[in-house]
Amino acid sequence: MTPIPIIVDCDPGIDDTIALLTAFVSPELEILGITPVCGNQPLERTVRNALQVCELGRRTDIPVYAGCFRPMLREPIFGQFHGKTGLGNTVLPEPVKTVEPKSAVDFLIDILTAAALKKRITICCLGPMTNLAVALRMNPQVAEGIERIVMMGGAYREPGNRTMTAEFNVLADPHAAHVVFSSGIPIVALALDATHQVMLKPEHVAEFSNVSGRISQTLAELMAFWDRNDVRRYGSRGGPLHDPLVIAYLLAPHLFTTERARVFVEHESELCMGQTIADWYGKSGLEPNADIVTKVDAEGIIALFLDRLSRYAEKAVA
Amino acid sequence: MSRQPVIIDADPGLDDAAAILMALASPEIDVLGLSIVAGNVPLQDTVANACKIVGVSGRTDVPVYAGAAGPLVREQVFGKYARIGAFSDDLVARSDITPSEEHAVRFIVRSAREAARAGEPITICAIGPMTNLALALIQHPDVALGIRQIVSMGGAFTALGHRTPWAEFNVLADPHAAEIVYRSGVPIVVMPLDMTFQALFTAEHFKSFSARGGAAGCALYNLFSTFDRSDIARFGRPGGPIHDATTIAWLIRPELFTSRKATVGTQVTGLTMGYTYADFYHKMDRTPNATVVTDVDEAGFINLLIERISLYGSAAPGPKTPGG
Repeated sequence: MTPIPIIVDCDPGIDDTIALLTAFVSPELEILGITPVCGNQPLERTVRNALQVCELGRRTDIPVYAGCFRPMLREPIFGQFHGKTGLGNTVLPEPVKTVEPKSAVDFLIDILTAAALKKRITICCLGPMTNLAVALRMNPQVAEGIERIVMMGGAYREPGNRTMTAEFNVLADPHAAHVVFSSGIPIVALALDATHQVMLKPEHVAEFSNVSGRISQTLAELMAFWDRNDVRRYGSRGGPLHDPLVIAYLLAPHLFTTERARVFVEHESELCMGQTIADWYGKSGLEPNADIVTKVDAEGIIALFLDRLSRYAEKAVA
Repeated sequence: MSRQPVIIDADPGLDDAAAILMALASPEIDVLGLSIVAGNVPLQDTVANACKIVGVSGRTDVPVYAGAAGPLVREQVFGKYARIGAFSDDLVARSDITPSEEHAVRFIVRSAREAARAGEPITICAIGPMTNLALALIQHPDVALGIRQIVSMGGAFTALGHRTPWAEFNVLADPHAAEIVYRSGVPIVVMPLDMTFQALFTAEHFKSFSARGGAAGCALYNLFSTFDRSDIARFGRPGGPIHDATTIAWLIRPELFTSRKATVGTQVTGLTMGYTYADFYHKMDRTPNATVVTDVDEAGFINLLIERISLYGSAAPGPKTPGG
């Protein structure tokens, strides 16, 4: 089987880090580049974190391209659950790996419009979608090079996690989300409706710590920091496995149930800014533009991640 | 006097043609390139028009870069008076100039970042929808640092709009881009309709373009003779404005203009999308982000434009020797 070529557009971020570490050891995926953007943390920090995570996962072969330093129109907002550095209390060594001279937007445009492109590329969006929106607006041909977008963001039947109605990634750049959802590119949407079904609980953290070999201490630290400790909201201890579900979807789509619908992004009302609205019952008269994940096999997902992240133990032996 | 490095971000367009030809003939200005955007007409037409304008100017050293084909967020609108579209060969002679491979936004990012590194910031004359500029400003903080000022033709304060009752075309066509530029921290000079409506060009003036301005002057005469721009009901007298050329005149002869500092912004949603406001009386308690040009010396501006276009007739402006 030839691997799926992907680009990971992200804002690391604790859950981005878990997603990247999983993708690093998954031969089904060929990671062509990582494009950090301003999101959970300012750009300088998300870039640095991406470089450090590549070193932690010993995948310094993957190029990292710095993305946009701010959202399209709105003032930047940052994440609330990732600590001061974006990686909780975890301190990783100063990175030796450096960021590529080319910008993320230029990288996306160049690779997605290349005449030599043989296989369309899947874009994994784990943060605000500024990079992709800017690339699409600079060069609409970019859409031709994209197989599909698998994105974490939005909240449909579930309330928001940053405001009453908005999920963080969409709220951080609602105009970019609007551009992407209006692009006609096939989209798989992993919203809070899906990610809140997969809680990374304290007992899971212990299991991950046991199996993950040379990264176990760091992984356990990151995962422990991720615990929201908010049973009223989430029904249990732990933290929702937002971004890693994007990678899980590519590796094991059978663990997910989707429903097609037209998605709209509120970018005008200040009260509901960043809200995502799904036309479940065909009220808009418009064609569906997204496959929204409605159900996730949480046990299957945890087992998948345990299997993948245990490969860091095998590597240490090798 | 050292020449000001300038990028002209444009959507040609008749007014754009006058502004670009004026700049290319002016020794005070070093035009680094033309970054072209969709606006009055679709991108392929604005790019073709820009190439033809450079062709008739004789300044084949000035690169043309194709940019954004549509606005950032809203649906696309074109100019109401864009009857001409792509300039036909009988109006402006065919040219073998083609746009550069590089994207206009990349050109702006590259030029501004180089200028920031060198400590010699550039000026941008924005005479179309500001999509290219906004896309450049989002990408890297050094882009804003490398821009000394953005001289923008756009907006309307007391004059009301010309594309809708409340909005001027360039802002209406991409209000999100305008707002990104206004909030970018780069000093903005705004040339609104309030001021551009004060300088009206008549058929007599267009004739002096063709009589004195060589091939470039003839092309401008042809373009401005295709339809009557006067609007007696609005302006009270014959003649029509050449909005975009005021940006170039401001760079060359700021003493022809009167201006005030104000906080400027635009409405990005709803019915009045593209409406621009200027806080002349400091009601918003914000540090002004813009210099709003409120008045122009009509005769001075008209004479300056004719004088510069006439340079195309008095000496053949060739590469690197604008205006002879």
